[in-house]
Amino acid sequence: MKFIRLIDKFENLFDKQTKGRPIKPGELQKLEQLLADKKSRYEAKLESTQDPEKRKKLETKLKVVNAQLEKSKQLASS
Amino acid sequence: MLKKVLLPSILVILAYGFWISPDFKEIADGVSIFLFGMLFLESGFKAFTGGVLEKLLQKTTDKTWKSLLFGIVSTTVMQSSSLVSVITISFISAGLVTLVGGIGIIFGANIGTTTGAWLVAAFGLKVKISAYAMPMLVFGIVLSFQKSKYLKGIGSVLAGLGFLFLGIHYMKEGFEAFKDSFDLASLAVAGYPGLFLFAAIGAAATVVMQSSHATLVLILTALAAAQITYENSLALAIGANIGTTITAIIGSLSANVQGKRLAGAHLIFNLVTGVIAIVFISQFIWAVDSISSRVGIADNNYTMKLAVFHTLFNVTGVLVMIPLIRQLADYLFKALPEKVLEVAEPKYLSDAAIEFPETVLVSVKKEVWHLFDSAFELMAHGMNLHRTEILESADFEKTIDADREIHDFDMDELYESKVKVLYGAIIDFISRSQSNMSSVFSEELFRLRNAATEIVECVKHIKHLRKNATKYMLSDNEHIRKEYNRLRYQIAMILREIYRLREEDDYDHALAVLEMDELKAEILVTHEELNTRITEVLQDNQITPSMATSLLNDFNYADETSKNLLDCAQALLASHADLVAEAAQEVILDEEEIKEASTA
Repeated sequence: MKFIRLIDKFENLFDKQTKGRPIKPGELQKLEQLLADKKSRYEAKLESTQDPEKRKKLETKLKVVNAQLEKSKQLASS
Repeated sequence: MLKKVLLPSILVILAYGFWISPDFKEIADGVSIFLFGMLFLESGFKAFTGGVLEKLLQKTTDKTWKSLLFGIVSTTVMQSSSLVSVITISFISAGLVTLVGGIGIIFGANIGTTTGAWLVAAFGLKVKISAYAMPMLVFGIVLSFQKSKYLKGIGSVLAGLGFLFLGIHYMKEGFEAFKDSFDLASLAVAGYPGLFLFAAIGAAATVVMQSSHATLVLILTALAAAQITYENSLALAIGANIGTTITAIIGSLSANVQGKRLAGAHLIFNLVTGVIAIVFISQFIWAVDSISSRVGIADNNYTMKLAVFHTLFNVTGVLVMIPLIRQLADYLFKALPEKVLEVAEPKYLSDAAIEFPETVLVSVKKEVWHLFDSAFELMAHGMNLHRTEILESADFEKTIDADREIHDFDMDELYESKVKVLYGAIIDFISRSQSNMSSVFSEELFRLRNAATEIVECVKHIKHLRKNATKYMLSDNEHIRKEYNRLRYQIAMILREIYRLREEDDYDHALAVLEMDELKAEILVTHEELNTRITEVLQDNQITPSMATSLLNDFNYADETSKNLLDCAQALLASHADLVAEAAQEVILDEEEIKEASTA
């Protein structure tokens, strides 16, 4: 029985290397942080930009980042 | 011609040898079992490729001393310099290891392989190793019948070692008996002619057996049975070292030019080492005697002395060649230049890599980028733009407005020779390598295959919109010209953005992947604006209805191209090794979500 457990552990060790890992909450948190930082950058830029064309582009970008943030949060809670 | 004659001749000689001498048959049995064991050992170690070995190799070859050490350790563990050199060739073909790093591994493998001689000389000929062979074979075979890939791998390694031991036992028995009926030592030739003759025999024997390890064990057993003189055994060992490069050369035949360069480096290294050993043979014999007496090896223990010699001349070769490693690489770059071809050829898809999943992924990704580069060129010219304009222009919109040069070329012909060939090669390579893949690797390959298909689709779309884009960019109607320039700008801007991210060495994979969603949303907004503008200019009679129809059609092609390019970039800019980027793949917005975000 112990031998089988040992083999299982051995397989898990190699599987981590060869088969990839399921997404962990920690990785989603890092992603959320990256997106939140990006969001703040866009908001700061938006505040300092007067050009209507540039503002429109930034607003679109901001909406996408918000949607991605939302999706990431949903994924983390599911 | 030689190929046709060689195999039948070997078979006839072997059959004749078996007929006249049962002892010769026993030696040949031993060699065959030994080689069979090597095959088992190689397949056993291959079970552990597909992640661990590749990652280790990538991390341990960024400095020459590291790659040298990697070569020594991996060959000592695997007891097969051939396997290490074939894996290295596959890596170098895939662009995972530089030529200098690869040469370092090969140098190290030459030192690592000498540990085999030590093991056989120290234990193989004194201890009755056949006693260990059978239990190893039994355990090995039982494990190799298991379902688990890794248990199978361990089983193959054990069975391989068992067969190696058994082979050594048979060779030893054969030579012991052979000694009484035939004295090979009487054929010994003294001086340099003898050295060259036996070096040539050693090289030929290794070429036939495809294993310097097997030749060396044969030499050691013959030496232990006093069938050859000590001096001749040294020459045979030198010859075996030269002969072993043949395995690397055969391995490189299916590799790209980088793999061929590495095989060339292996040949040059072993030739130089061999010449040094032959020229300074007296000094080497003196050094071996001196080292042996210091470490307590008896004067008449020639097998151990041969092991010392084998290590000594390989280490000397490495010490001589290491300072010249860059010059050697430069020489090989010049001697084996990359072919400049009219028809594009895959650069990274090497059959040598097909058994190593991690390498397959890296090779395919690089090849899809190669396809992207070819398609980039074609798409740029298709929109009457130069690649440099797209990549380097400071005021991009202005450049596009000002550039009214028509690029005259046959897009179909270039598509066939620069894009379709590469695409076909990628699809073929993926389908052949998929059988060795675990599900996650297969998924990643599927993503890359889709990315390649999307690139091809982009070229086809550009082909469609090229006709009108060329016509209207020369038009006197400022409004239609402006709209078509906007269309050219949209595609060129996406190409430029993808290229920029790819060129950044340390780009954040996760952010790069998600940034593509922002561009997708921008395209949707642009399309909405275009619809409004078209209605306005049509109402004002600034463009004709026919122009408006063409424009709407072509903007659909442009949108499809942009979307395909961005989807493809999301697959190519991701990295399955970066776990946050893997998580980002799950957060990529679908078409509906992007539409919602862009209109909200």
